[in-house]
Amino acid sequence: MRYETQVAGRTFRVDVDSSGRALVDGEAVAATIDEIARGRQWRVGLEGRTHEITLLTREPMRLLVDGVEIAASAIDERSLAASRGTRLQSSGRHELRAPMPGLLRAVHVREGDIVERETPIVTLEAMKMENELRAPARARVVRLDARAGEKVEGGAMLAVLVEIE
Amino acid sequence: MAPFKAVLIANRGEIAVRIIRTCRDLGMRSVAVYSAADRDALHVRLADEAYPIGPAAPRESYLAIEKLVAVATGAGCDAVHPGYGFLSENADFADAVTKAGLVFVGPPANVQRLLGEKTRARKIAREAGVPIVDGTMDAPADAAAARDAAKRIGYPLMLKAAGGGGGKGMRVVRTADGLDAAWRLAASEAQSAFGSPALFLEHLVENAHHVEVQIVADAHGEVVWVGERECSVQRRHQKLIEESPAPAIDNALRARLGDAAVRIAKAAGYRNAGTVEFLVDGKGSFYFLEVNTRLQVEHPVTEAVTGLDLVALQFRIAAGERLGFAHADIQRRGAAIELRVTAEDAHAGFVPATGTIAFLRLPAGPGVRVDHALFEGMRVPMEYDPLLAKIVAWGKDRREALARARRAVRETVIAGSATSLAFHAHALADPDFSAGKYDTGFVASHWPPAAPPELDDSAATAAALVAVLASRAREAHPQNGVATAWSRAAREDALR
Repeated sequence: MRYETQVAGRTFRVDVDSSGRALVDGEAVAATIDEIARGRQWRVGLEGRTHEITLLTREPMRLLVDGVEIAASAIDERSLAASRGTRLQSSGRHELRAPMPGLLRAVHVREGDIVERETPIVTLEAMKMENELRAPARARVVRLDARAGEKVEGGAMLAVLVEIE
Repeated sequence: MAPFKAVLIANRGEIAVRIIRTCRDLGMRSVAVYSAADRDALHVRLADEAYPIGPAAPRESYLAIEKLVAVATGAGCDAVHPGYGFLSENADFADAVTKAGLVFVGPPANVQRLLGEKTRARKIAREAGVPIVDGTMDAPADAAAARDAAKRIGYPLMLKAAGGGGGKGMRVVRTADGLDAAWRLAASEAQSAFGSPALFLEHLVENAHHVEVQIVADAHGEVVWVGERECSVQRRHQKLIEESPAPAIDNALRARLGDAAVRIAKAAGYRNAGTVEFLVDGKGSFYFLEVNTRLQVEHPVTEAVTGLDLVALQFRIAAGERLGFAHADIQRRGAAIELRVTAEDAHAGFVPATGTIAFLRLPAGPGVRVDHALFEGMRVPMEYDPLLAKIVAWGKDRREALARARRAVRETVIAGSATSLAFHAHALADPDFSAGKYDTGFVASHWPPAAPPELDDSAATAAALVAVLASRAREAHPQNGVATAWSRAAREDALR
């Protein structure tokens, strides 16, 4: 299987063959890899050097490499091909999502309302701060999933707005 | 002799663990409380006893005064330590504890009321001859009155909650256009945090130093300033790094700040440990900000350079003992720095993060202390403060303290939740920070970094290989719950 990986802003092609040998950018690497904690931490021996690498978070992937935190990703070629060219979002449709987990202090609109640009839609309280999420444009609220007093996770869908003239 | 027999700790997380430790050192029984979200928490397991007090929502557990007092009396406690946050600056709680015949470990309710009202605290400071930031002496009635006051004070300015501090109900306003929206949000925050929407205005002193003075005062009128802490590295008015000595001030200014802190404390009739916060501008002028009538998060910085146990001092003062020392008796050694590791994504503007601690390795070695309540399998709760751990490094001078702090960050691994550690590593490597040249504008001007950190070829190759493995790895989720352990045991027995 072939993977395209990104680590700290650099791209590497990694091939893993059926015998478990790894090639990085076409060159065989003599690496010894030990899994220190299952699915979380590895020791990689590479030409006399040892690297300790920990998976800090999965989504987005962040690795701790010898004490340095970096962004990383690895995607196999089949998935990469499939993901290209998708992701069409109809223009003028805005999904209002919670940028962070928190408590919905107030909901300022109702489904069907027409709101002007910058109109507060909800007030989200997270870690001592209240934040207003506002309409990005003059729009109609076509869907409202937010209720005042509710706790929401980061990324939770709160409302769908469709731009109007 | 132990100052008390048994202490109720009305808090959670690292500070509850911190207080339990001193209870054990002094030979006092520690009694913990926990919400439904904290049943498996470290403080619950380390305390001598622990009692449930309700659901995860703070209002129904850690802020429920009657429940806490009932547990304290039921468990035979003779004192209550509130920690920081939650009810630590709530005068009604101090009153309720006292009425139940127990000792509140902190300033008396009347002192808390006096200083908790920030507009009154400003008046006390002014009467004590300590400079305050130009602003309103009272809370304007509404946004319209605030607009009038703002014309005199000038922009940029700060809106601050009159009812309390700690960064809640606080907003920077740069132009008259922004005043109404900021007023609305800050008033609402103040209402939910302090039960009153009252706000006051202060001129914004930009790129200043946030320096605070630790004081202790006994019940016999003795007030001693212990030392200062520089706390200018902040985001959203919440501190990320604190250190002592403050690198930007000299001994003369330090002594003037200490003297001002003592004068304010005496004028307010202060008792127990407290912190007087000041802004110090680039010209050596200073202004009183507020008094925190509790133990500060960053108290270990002062403990590191003085060798004092401030929590033990709090208990002894609460029991009526005399301080028995003056400022001149305090021997300050070296320098200390604290890094607040929070469950916040440093790469996404410090937004709160959640998750489960999947792997943990904390630093150790000479000069390193870590106060925390972490364990592998711990769920990072979104209901409470995002503080995960405080890494405190001490050295014979600032250079050694920073070297040890860098070493400690290099050793630390906290996986499963985004954290602020990348920021700390970046700050400690920054030439300005290393030179002690930073102020309250530091985070805005130095974060996020212009380029991602660099890896050499060997490390990058190893990381690429691990990225492939990590993208395929699936985690084993820990199984928690009342029935799970037994039902699993039963299932396994049936298969024998």
